[in-house]
Order: sequence, then C-alpha cells, then structure tokens
Amino acid sequence: MPRSDENKKIMKFKLIYPRWEKLEGQTIFYLPPHGPVVMAADLPSYVEVDFTDENVEDLIIDETPDLIGISMMLTTQIKRGWAIADQYRKLGKKVIFGGISTMLHAEETMLHADSVFLGEVEGRMKEVFEDFSKNELKKVYNFINNPPDMGLIGPARRDILKEDMYYHKGFRMVDLFHASRGCVYDCYPCAVRYLGGRGFRPRPIDRVVEELSQMENNRLFIVDNSLALDTSWEKDLFRAMIPLKKKWVSHTIEDKDDVLDLAAQAGAWYVYQAVFDRSHYIRNRIKQYHDHGIGVEGTILLGLDNQTEDDIKRLIDFLLEIDLDLAEFTVLAPFPHTKAYSDLLKQGRIFDHDWDHYNAGKVVYHPKHMTADRLQELYHYAWETFYQDEPQTQKMFNLLSTVIQREQQDGTYKPRRRDLLDQSFGRNINEVA
Amino acid sequence: MEINPEFDNYMDRYFDYLGQWESPSKCGLKIVRRKDGKTLAIVTEIYRQNPGTPVTEWCAPLASKILSEVGENPENFIFIEHTPDLKSKLSFYGETFDLVSFDWNGTRYENPKWKRLSREQVNKLMEE
Repeated sequence: MPRSDENKKIMKFKLIYPRWEKLEGQTIFYLPPHGPVVMAADLPSYVEVDFTDENVEDLIIDETPDLIGISMMLTTQIKRGWAIADQYRKLGKKVIFGGISTMLHAEETMLHADSVFLGEVEGRMKEVFEDFSKNELKKVYNFINNPPDMGLIGPARRDILKEDMYYHKGFRMVDLFHASRGCVYDCYPCAVRYLGGRGFRPRPIDRVVEELSQMENNRLFIVDNSLALDTSWEKDLFRAMIPLKKKWVSHTIEDKDDVLDLAAQAGAWYVYQAVFDRSHYIRNRIKQYHDHGIGVEGTILLGLDNQTEDDIKRLIDFLLEIDLDLAEFTVLAPFPHTKAYSDLLKQGRIFDHDWDHYNAGKVVYHPKHMTADRLQELYHYAWETFYQDEPQTQKMFNLLSTVIQREQQDGTYKPRRRDLLDQSFGRNINEVA
Repeated sequence: MEINPEFDNYMDRYFDYLGQWESPSKCGLKIVRRKDGKTLAIVTEIYRQNPGTPVTEWCAPLASKILSEVGENPENFIFIEHTPDLKSKLSFYGETFDLVSFDWNGTRYENPKWKRLSREQVNKLMEE
C-alpha cells in the first residue's frame, strides 16, 4: 500500500517481471517472484507500485505510470524485458532495469534502458527515485562493490503480489524467502560470486524471524544459495524457526546429524541436493536426509566435461537406486560471469548466443565427449527414464501429501481454496489444458 | 585453497586492477624479460583470493594495463593466462595455460582469442 508520510507527490511506478518460455514437457508451475518484492520493500513512501508478473497475467502497456521498472532473474527473461522496455520508451517513458539477469547482461541491457541498477537495493531506492524526480536518472547505479548492511533488509513487500495467481487447483504455492546472501564457493556453473560476492552474509536472526512471522503462507522456499556455510548461524536460524511451524524447501543443509535434527524440527520439508557422481557420499547423504524425515530433490547437471555418454546413463541408473523423491535434470548453461562461460569461451565451444536458449534445457555449446545433439537426446532420456514408473506430478503430490500430514499434526494446515479449484496460476484449468 | 605466490613458478607477486564495474580485483603476475627483447606476462587467476573480476572476463583491459605498467610495445608483449591446479576433485579446476592474442586499436587491446598451451610450452616461452 502506498504510504504518504512524506510531502511529495505520489509517483506511479510500474514494476514488471517479464515472462519466459517454459521447458518442453515439464510440469508447469509458477512461484511468486522474490526479487521484485525485496526491491519494493525499499521504495520511498511516496511511490505507489503496480506489479505485473507476466507469467501469470497479461501486461497492459500504457502511459499511466511515471516510471517503469523491469526486474529480471533469468537469462531467458532478458529479451522479453528488452522488448517491453523498447515499447515503453517509444511512449516516452523512462525504464530502469534491475535483478540478477540484469547484472549478468548489464552492457546489453543498457542499450534498452534509461538506467540499470547493479547490486542490492537496500538503502538505495531513495536516491534513484529522487534522481528520477529531478530528471537526473543515472545511466548506471553501480552498487556491486558495496553491499548493504544485512540488518537493513526488512520484510519483503509481498502485498504487491496478486496472491490468487499463485494457486493451482486451490493449492497455494510456496512463497520465496531469503535468510542470507553471497557464497564462499566458486562453483563451475554458478555466478553467485559475481552477483552476491565471495563472502557469506547472513541476515540477523531477529530480522529473519520478524519477516517469517509476518508471512501468512505456511509453505516457503528458502532461496539462499546454501544454508551450509556457517554452522553456528545455521543452527541458530533453525532453533529460531521451530516455534513458527513453517514448512520449507531449501538448497543444501549441512550433513551433520545435530544440524539435520534441528532443520527437521524447524520444518525442513525437502532439500535440493546436487547429485554429481555415484559415490557412497551421495548415497549416504540422501539416506541421511531421509532418516531425518527430509525429502530430497536431486539436481543433476548434464554435459560437464568429465561426463561421457556412459557416465550419464549410469548416473541415471544410480538415481533410480537411491530413492530420490524428485529429480531435476538440466544441461550446462554457460551463463556469463561463470567459470563455465570463461572456459567454454576460451575454447571456442559456445555455438549458440541466443539468450532465449539459455534455459538449462537446451544445449548451446559443444560437449567434450559427445555431440550437442546427443547430449540433447540424453537430457530428454534422463527425464523420461527417471519418471517412467511414477510421473513427476505424482511424485510432487507425494511430497505435498507429506507436508499436509505434518501441517494437520501441528495445526497449521489450511484447506484448499474452494473458490480457486478450477484455477491454475490465474487461468481457468480448462483454458490451460 | 590459498595460493602462495612465493611457491609458484608462474607468480612473482599479486597485481591489483579495477575489473568490470570498477570492482577491486587481484591476480597473480610474473613478468619475464626475454633474451629476444620481448616481454612475457603471466597472469594467474587466484579464485577466492580475487575479490572481483576473473582474469578471463577482463583480460583485454588487464593486458592493456600491464602493458602500460611494464612500458612495452604491443608487438613485443606476450600475454599468458594461467589457472593453477586447485587440487579439486573436479577436473575444471586443474592447471591450464592459454596464450592470448588481441587486436590492438592504437590505445588498447581488444577481441581476445585464446590458444591452449602446455606447461612445457610455457616454460619454453619463458626461456626464449
């Protein structure tokens, strides 16, 4: 809601999250975006924000807003984001871009922007909007090297979301949440080093609890790159979360029994675990999660230089043995600002530079041990083989059943919204079918 | 893994540079004045010890800056990128060397192109 505690004219800010093409043949669902709600929390009180997530609703482009903001997370959003900006700029509107993929593709995005914002927003939006008011918007707001105090990160503005759009047949999707930023690792396919810095920056636990307490949704996806970077903070976080009775999905948790025990008590529902080989370590790790009642979605990256065709087939067989609850297969996408990109660029192996194809489902480079076409076939083979006995929708329903049981036990269960039973992400299910 | 320049044949010192978006950045550097009068620069990616832009992403501006600091002519300057062996289980973090060639636009290098070299080839280039 707009706040008018400052003697300034209300400014209309249109914030847009561009749509992207979904991967062929996969279950389609939409989560409420995170970047825009975090950004909106830093807007000055005189700014009235109108948010459109183009994945779940149509965008109407008109001259009503004073300023346009385009928030982009994925590389596959950027061409659509640029097209939207071009249309608004033809109407004489100023456009500012921000978000993860704006940072990854900043120079190209500047060609379609009046301004690009690089870095994290907390404490910075006042300057941006004052500059705009004075018609002095800067071409680049560069805060990459100057991350804000983590204590400044307040509750995200989820009130800007059209909540009903994120239901499927009356079931509410998870809300996204973050408890830390940055990462100490420099993983081959990952750009977090560039985006969030090389240091691990946890939010103060009391600020995390403050935000979680305000969230009406009981089901969350904690989007932090890894919760396993500071044991003491991780355990404090889980202890603080126990009374809140949230149920959550996250990336990796430390494989120490005391940590996993606390995570389970804090509501760990399932975790994403990278499965990169067929080792006992991986097998034991999956078992360890399951022993604590935590489900596992394996994330499997295909097409690395150490994988032959035979390795990939054996890995898929291994996945079927280790009792994963879900598996998500991707092919290596060499996003800018990753070591994967640098290595493949140096070797002249990237053959497709259309950013719409950087969806981690399409091969855009020459793999080392097979042709690009063969890797593409193996990607489809992996999905089909893993889900041939039990479809992905059934496996997802199994996980959902687990969380519903736990919610019923601790009194947090909210029944399906009967008024949305025939709706799927803002559309009538008959239209979607 | 920490990289100690004192124990690496291909690093004599750290070199600070401003990377993309003016990010404070750091690499390893060895300058070899060759017998044939040319100057060889080996820059080493130091991963976690580099707070900013990796050398590969910034190699043309980085090569231009080092060229300026060593006071060499562009045609007498040889630029090699080095990634050290991080002793990782992953093959992507093994040792590599690449000879980088550029276009010279009159004031700075542009359009890098990389050619993989072996350690032996690099040692030979250092001795020429």
